[in-house]
Amino acid sequence: MKIGGKLIFSNIFNFLLILIIGAFAIQNLNSILTKLKFIEIADDLNFSFLEMRLSEKNYFLYRDEGALKEIEQKAAVTQGVLNSVSRDVIRATGRQNYDLLERYLGDYLSAVKDISARHSRDLQSEERLRVEGRKLMEFSDRITHLERTKVNGIILYSKQVLFVSFFAILILALTISHFLSKRIVMPIKEIESIAKSISAGDFKIIQKDIPNDETGSVIRAINSMSGELRSREEQIIQSKKLASLGILIAGVAHEINNPLNNISMIAQTYADAYDSLDRGQRIDFMGKIEGETERIKRIVKNLLDFSKPKEPDLAVADMNGIVKDTLKLVQNMLDVSNIETSLELGAGLPPVFVDGHQIQQVFVNLVANSIQAMSSGGRLTISTFTGKDGNTVETSIADTGKGIPQEFLPHIFDPFFSTREDAGTGLGLWVSYGIVKNHNGRIAVDTKPGRGTTFTVSLPAHK
Amino acid sequence: MSARIMIIDDEKIVGDMARISLEQEGYEVETFLNAAPALDRLREQGFDIVVTDLKMKGIDGLEVLRTVKSLYPGVKVIMITAFANLDVAIEALRGDVFDFFPKPVKIKELKESIKKALQN
Ligand SMILES: Nc1ncnc2c1ncn2[C@@H]1O[C@H](COP(=O)(O)OP(=O)(O)OP(=O)(O)O)[C@@H](O)[C@H]1O
Ligand SMILES: [Mg+2]
Repeated sequence: MKIGGKLIFSNIFNFLLILIIGAFAIQNLNSILTKLKFIEIADDLNFSFLEMRLSEKNYFLYRDEGALKEIEQKAAVTQGVLNSVSRDVIRATGRQNYDLLERYLGDYLSAVKDISARHSRDLQSEERLRVEGRKLMEFSDRITHLERTKVNGIILYSKQVLFVSFFAILILALTISHFLSKRIVMPIKEIESIAKSISAGDFKIIQKDIPNDETGSVIRAINSMSGELRSREEQIIQSKKLASLGILIAGVAHEINNPLNNISMIAQTYADAYDSLDRGQRIDFMGKIEGETERIKRIVKNLLDFSKPKEPDLAVADMNGIVKDTLKLVQNMLDVSNIETSLELGAGLPPVFVDGHQIQQVFVNLVANSIQAMSSGGRLTISTFTGKDGNTVETSIADTGKGIPQEFLPHIFDPFFSTREDAGTGLGLWVSYGIVKNHNGRIAVDTKPGRGTTFTVSLPAHK
Repeated sequence: MSARIMIIDDEKIVGDMARISLEQEGYEVETFLNAAPALDRLREQGFDIVVTDLKMKGIDGLEVLRTVKSLYPGVKVIMITAFANLDVAIEALRGDVFDFFPKPVKIKELKESIKKALQN
């Protein structure tokens, strides 16, 4: 059942419960009222009976014949009263009791009439009068007392019922709120965490069995959104790849055309001006041609590196070891450029699962860039450390070079983007980016023009 | 008086080779690797022809063309480029370029074009 349905159901249930309790309370009150009314009537009647018996006493004690008349009158009046409240009395005590009461009163009255009719004081009739009087009194007392007890009982009973229903409603309310938190709050927590990871770029999907209610449809919607985002991202990556392939091809055409043109112009000039060139110039020309072919070779080699099978040859490795190996490769370059190097290798780094050669290639590219950005006497700092969350191993390469102007920053990872005077291919960072991306890692740049640049390569720790 | 020719290309070899060939023809040649100093030089010394590369770091060939044409409308500009792309060619022609050479440049054709430019 859907949560909405369940809520409505439990609300209706609670409502009915309250309704029943209310009806019960009203009904109890009503019956208490009837009984109280009866008790009031009974008190009146009792009073009348008491008066009759007082007259009866006068009759017996003082031989007052007039007392009988009084009793007769009072009994007749009381009978009238009793008749007029018969409905209330029947309602409170039942017809049987009413009939009995009426009969006792009638008996009493007939006993009185009997005596006064005969005008003789025979003991038997007097005894009958006394007995009937007592019977009437006792009966009336008894049912009054009984009704009083009943009222008390009803009050006690309603107290108990109300008490129990209070707890029933309380427990029901608690159950509903527990249910709400379980069925609504928990899934929302989950959805929240998924939303967080989606906004962080991890297009997860909630795998748990999906409840068949409103939170379930929210989860399904989020799942399909996440899937959609994932496929969109793949499309974007795909089109970016195509775009960068376009840039690459245009770049190759341009980059190769330049040395090609140089070679062509040297050759034309060589042929054209052969006679006016001396031996040294001719050799210089050929050297230049060799230099230009070298340029083309470098471009082609970088391209080949890039088009090599992308799958890295992964192995568990220690980042500090890779950094030390890299340093051996570039030490010569650093010495030539008179650059001081400091190594700050973190202790207790988690291992990484990488292609050591490819990562070395990345570091060589970064160090080469740093050297090119610094004039002689600069300082290079290579440090390794564990990432903040402990899930990555970071290597940063910091130089004190000229930095990267803000307007170049978006382009430095593009193929063939280069600001180098000495004809860099502009593929170094592009290739490095590709390698790191293939390792599920990241490259970050932090640069202050005029002060220096830090590239940080962050790779996932191997678990 | 021999004609004065300025060559701007960030590839040093282009300037070097063009200079050898053009000096043989009796022209006076000055070469530059960057447009900025070239334009400075143009302001202090008249030239008949400016040969410029299109794609250069800093000031590029189209900007050179515009600047030259606005300062000295009579100076002929010849454009060379490693990356012959139609859009750029159209833009260059609209900008009143005298001739347009994709790399690799045939020096003989460049010489002829210069000759024609000077006759105009
Ligand atoms: N450490 C750095 N300091 C300053 N600028 C940098 C640094 N690293 C990269 N750059 C800028 O980014 C550009 C691209 O770098 P990239 O390594 O891709 O190409 P490159 O060094 O120019 O040529 P190559 O292909 O020979 O590496 C550089 O030309 C330079 O402008
Ligand atoms: Mg580089």
